[in-house]
Amino acid sequence: MSSARRGSTILGALALVFILVGQYWGLVKAPPDAYQGDSQRIMYLHVPSILTAYLSFFIVFVGSCLYLWKREPRDDILAYAAAEIGVLFTALTIVEGAIWGKPTWGVWWTWDARLTLTAILLLIFVAYLMLRALIEEEQRAAVSGAILGIIGFLDIPLIHMSVYWWRTLHQPPSILQPDKPPWENVHPSMLVALAINFVAFILLYFYLLSQRIRLGEKQAELRRRRLYGRR
Amino acid sequence: MRQLSKAFGSQWALRDVSFDLRAGECVALLGQNGAGKTTLLKLLSALMRPTSGAIELARPAVGYLVPGAHLYEHLTVGENLRLFLALHNNKKTPAEVEKALSRASLTGAQDWLVSALSAGMKCRLLIAKWLLVEPGLLLLDEPYGPLDGAGVDLLESFVSELTRAQTAVIIATHQIPRALALCSRALVLTRGRLVFDGPRDDAAANLDRLGESLLPRGEAWSY
Amino acid sequence: MELLRQACWLLWKDVRLELRRRESLMSMFFFGALLLFLFQFSFEIRQDRVAEMTPGLLWLAFVFTGMLALTQLFQPERENFCLEALLLTPFDRAALFVSKVIFNLILMLLVELVVFPLFAILFNLQYWGLLPSLFAVTFLGTLGFCVLGTLFSAVTLKARARELLLPLVLFPLLIPVVLATIRCLEIILRSGAWSEAYPWLRLLIAFDVIFMTAGYLIFEWVVEA
Repeated sequence: MSSARRGSTILGALALVFILVGQYWGLVKAPPDAYQGDSQRIMYLHVPSILTAYLSFFIVFVGSCLYLWKREPRDDILAYAAAEIGVLFTALTIVEGAIWGKPTWGVWWTWDARLTLTAILLLIFVAYLMLRALIEEEQRAAVSGAILGIIGFLDIPLIHMSVYWWRTLHQPPSILQPDKPPWENVHPSMLVALAINFVAFILLYFYLLSQRIRLGEKQAELRRRRLYGRR
Repeated sequence: MRQLSKAFGSQWALRDVSFDLRAGECVALLGQNGAGKTTLLKLLSALMRPTSGAIELARPAVGYLVPGAHLYEHLTVGENLRLFLALHNNKKTPAEVEKALSRASLTGAQDWLVSALSAGMKCRLLIAKWLLVEPGLLLLDEPYGPLDGAGVDLLESFVSELTRAQTAVIIATHQIPRALALCSRALVLTRGRLVFDGPRDDAAANLDRLGESLLPRGEAWSY
Repeated sequence: MELLRQACWLLWKDVRLELRRRESLMSMFFFGALLLFLFQFSFEIRQDRVAEMTPGLLWLAFVFTGMLALTQLFQPERENFCLEALLLTPFDRAALFVSKVIFNLILMLLVELVVFPLFAILFNLQYWGLLPSLFAVTFLGTLGFCVLGTLFSAVTLKARARELLLPLVLFPLLIPVVLATIRCLEIILRSGAWSEAYPWLRLLIAFDVIFMTAGYLIFEWVVEA
């Protein structure tokens, strides 16, 4: 077993441990929220998953820039892998939001700024995957993906601002106040649960990323073998 | 050019092709359909990136002539020439442009739409374009196709003029006798590999052995 | 300045082609007018609601007609390997970006010049005095649309199903422009107060500047082999 593979396995095992501990802490040890009761507990998953989704965007951006600059297939594999896992985590965030929204707001979906924003992120990630799938030539697909990765990342602050203003300047703010610092009036074990889950998601994220990169490398290796094995 | 290779998907179009070109040299590029001739020309003109290998050019300006392509059909002859000369940063006077057109027997065709030209006339127009641009390396992709007798004469006088002006020329063609008569050297590609690189006389002597289907069966030829 | 010279030549070429073929502009005019009728059929726009609906509907009409132009934008280069012919010349690749952005902008502004008054007449609006400020905002929004639209029109040039792919890629990225333009138009129509529209205007200008710069820097890689 190569050291990279062993590292990845250790990462996976650690992620599993942290997820189990995190669930215990979030579901059992932390007290229920004063206003929302038990439904608030989904936040222990929700916040880490949206943060990892943003992390994906950043990694896609970095991989895209490096690829355009150096033309190493490695960087493109990184960007592609991060985008795929990004889809997973944004979709997860939306589903969690809906599950939380039903008991809290009484509806699965509302045009809340953060929900909308997450949906837009998902659309951009999906567009990235579609773009790559619909361009036949490999280098072309990689370059096109890199361009979308860069433009999409640059666009995020603008989308963020416009969606927040749209909700706050146009309608009264939603039940949650996004500007309120989270550490005020919060039970310490809630913060611990959040922190553990955050570490768990980061570990899980990098485990999946390393596995997806390995898959990408194997695919590239396969193509190379097909090419050079033939006369 | 060193170890030039190009793959499409899992298929090699060109495999480890290496050769040097001298200024003013005229080279015939021969090979069956699908041997990699056009791919090689596109790599040389930087319209494609090689999968591996590198190209070094002493003079970066590369001309690439494909009959029938590379012209805006709904612009006139004059507009096409003006646009491309401007983008080539070429400061030829209108008189020089008119002279090149008349050499290509396109006198008075300045205001014709390219879509109204015949295939042969489009090819002549492209010759006129590169005549005016004077590239450092000129690549011709099956240029004989649509040309009539006078057109071929024009093409050949154009090529010899360029080679005298130290431009290297590569002609990819199936008109083997014509090409070998014009060129001093021949390259033969078979399934993406360079199987022959040498003076044209050696090529002529070995052609039967090099590419089994380069000539129609039973056709005798000479140059 | 070399860049501008080359961009002017390329723009001259596109304008000549459009004048000769009249493909994009005509279809855009009719499509824009057609959309106004479709809006009326689907929303039954009444006089009392027209003010709040105007910005969204107008901008929707512009975006859809703009998409029509974008799918046609690189058509001349697709035909007859003309993009190759351009790439054989040593011109600055960014000049192609600049010329295409300007060309698409001209097409869309021409359509907007017709659709704006047509909309006002059809729905009996009395906003003639506000027209200059409405135009100024629309110009900024249209510019942003054209900048990203041109970039991704070129990116999807060699993709399968590119007419479907282009809006899919483009629309999520254009959300800031769409929101900012519509909100600005709405604020102007409602109160005419520029101070309220300032944050949106700044966002719009930031969008235009950021992506014009990014497109200019990145375009070389978009068209390369």
